[in-house]
Amino acid sequence: MTNTASAKGEILASIRQNLAASRRFDTVYNEHHIPADRVAGSERHDEAIGLLSRFKSNLDAVAGKCQVVHNDREAAVAIQNIVDDLKPLTIAVSDSDIINDLIDRINTDATVLKNASKGELFDCDVGVTTAQWAMAETGTLVLESGRERSRLTSLLPPVHICVLDAKNIRGTMGEILQIIQNDLSRTVTFVTGPSRTSDIELTLAIGVHGPRELYVIVISDETNA
Amino acid sequence: MTNLTSETFDQNARAALRDTQLRGALDNLVKTFGERRKEVIKTVDDWEALRNRARQIKDETLAHLDNYLEQFTGNAEKAGATIHWARDGKEVCRIVLDLIDAIDATNVVKSKSMATEEIHLNHALEAEGINPIETDLGEWIIQLANETPSHIVVPAIHKTKGQIAALFVEKTGIEKTDDVDVLTNTARKVLRSRFAEAEVGISGVNFGVAETGTILILENEGNIRLTTSLPKVHIALMGIEKVIPKFADLDVFLKLLPRSGTGQRLTTYQSLITGTKLERDDEGPDEVHIILMDNGRSRMLAHPVTRQSLACIRCGACLNACPVYQQIGGHAYGAVYPGPIGAVITPQLTGLAKTKQLPYASSLCGACREVCPVKIDIPALLLHLRAEIVDGEADGISAETRVKKKFGERAVFLMYSFLWRRSKLYNFGAKLSRFFQKGVVKDGKARSGFASLVPPLGAWTKWRDAPQVAPRTFKEIWKEDLSKRND
Repeated sequence: MTNTASAKGEILASIRQNLAASRRFDTVYNEHHIPADRVAGSERHDEAIGLLSRFKSNLDAVAGKCQVVHNDREAAVAIQNIVDDLKPLTIAVSDSDIINDLIDRINTDATVLKNASKGELFDCDVGVTTAQWAMAETGTLVLESGRERSRLTSLLPPVHICVLDAKNIRGTMGEILQIIQNDLSRTVTFVTGPSRTSDIELTLAIGVHGPRELYVIVISDETNA
Repeated sequence: MTNLTSETFDQNARAALRDTQLRGALDNLVKTFGERRKEVIKTVDDWEALRNRARQIKDETLAHLDNYLEQFTGNAEKAGATIHWARDGKEVCRIVLDLIDAIDATNVVKSKSMATEEIHLNHALEAEGINPIETDLGEWIIQLANETPSHIVVPAIHKTKGQIAALFVEKTGIEKTDDVDVLTNTARKVLRSRFAEAEVGISGVNFGVAETGTILILENEGNIRLTTSLPKVHIALMGIEKVIPKFADLDVFLKLLPRSGTGQRLTTYQSLITGTKLERDDEGPDEVHIILMDNGRSRMLAHPVTRQSLACIRCGACLNACPVYQQIGGHAYGAVYPGPIGAVITPQLTGLAKTKQLPYASSLCGACREVCPVKIDIPALLLHLRAEIVDGEADGISAETRVKKKFGERAVFLMYSFLWRRSKLYNFGAKLSRFFQKGVVKDGKARSGFASLVPPLGAWTKWRDAPQVAPRTFKEIWKEDLSKRND
């Protein structure tokens, strides 16, 4: 502790000394550099297209699989279809009430793990969670650790199914940052599509460490969404 | 290509130029990332304003770096993180080793971090019997091959699929393949078992938010999420320049960094970590340690030109845009940070004595400045460092000797300025040069016999054409012809 304490003192002192030494050059330098404008650029988008459509098309663009349903019953059917298709042996669910309710309606031979341990999650085929928010401009899901136990369920299984309430879709990163800062969770994870890499000859490969497949089921009560 | 040093940059570069396979890989990089970047920056409505804003945030932070660091550490500690300060790489390695020892750990996983590369953390850990596993696919390939990264974003860009496949056959025992998906799956499988047993996870940091004590790390693969979620202890290494004032500032940098780095609107994952988990049975590590590292950074604050280096967000765009990097790749620089940003950061981090060639590894074309998301004037920095080299700072020459040494040079420039300020003398000088150059320069080259007689000219014209005085100067043309025309 004493070592790092003296390191702290020395580093801060060095910062102050060097900044002080720079002052005589700063004036001349600043005169030659025009101050920046305060407005930052924002994502281009077509205002006429609704948040949900923008979210969906941006998620599609990064190989996420998004479908829009109108109520819980349809959401359960959507999950049922994915499960029938993938035939998983084990499904892990987060501690969200909505997810637990939905999974109870699913007809499957798979073992459903509620509150799975770290070790169990390594062997799960599918993880089901919600997302607290979503960002339309990039097709991004926002997972807050303070509101749902989804950190590992959304990460370890090769397939992640996420159920999203359309009311929680916001337009921009700026809006999302403002919302989550309010009651900041210890971990917030932004997820935009399935895991990817292009480390080998810049060739895109999906699913290197995180989920290979990301299904997003959006529940929207607007009929024309 | 691994153990090259900056001291032999010229030879390294020449060898790299002969490596056709490397140049093919670089060509692919330039086309893919360069063009993707160009397209994706159109998806924000005012890219310039965004860059200006980012630079403004960085300038503001750096001007009060001490305050922002104290604010950052205060808030991170409040949320349960432990803050460590390290003056140099050795101190970082000591802190990391102590943390590993404290829980008697042997299984350590790492996600990609240039800061850990900078201080050769893996070597230090290996010397103490700890073998940290790199989990980023590119970094893992490099680790298996016992090489160093050649790009700060895509570390294995210099290796072909065939070489990687052969490496995997040898090290993991898979069947011969040329399928990238098979290779990727092999990495997933092998590294999953490492993650399962990992006790300590080491990561870097992209941004540290002073206002909340949050660290943010970006990635595409998911290995950073695994590294920061699974082990009991998470250690994050953060350069002191990584701090930014406000949580809302992340918006600006999250628009700039992925676009500039890989040409994406946003990378697949961002982890925003604020201290430790709240309850014992909750998910995530029990301990989060953030190591704040100086390692030569605070020195760069001492001049506004060098201070810019600390605004760098490590996107790698300047590498992809640089005509020098495009030809020789990363290893030739003989340093952890290659390319234009490496040519200015490396000499400042490690001293000019052994890196004298790096500030000259540029044609000063300004392509790096053009693409830099935080508008670092890299050419100005290169010139600043060249001036230091010419002043003899690299050789530790005293100010007195420097004045003496430069006496001849100063005399020449005094003469030059004397002539150029007097038009009659200037005209006479031009005529004189025209007469004398006939014997010395022909077709842009120094005449063979004269090359040795006129030393700077001989060396200069080996790679370049010598400027020739025109048969008629503009003044003469004006006087004799142009001034008489009346259209």
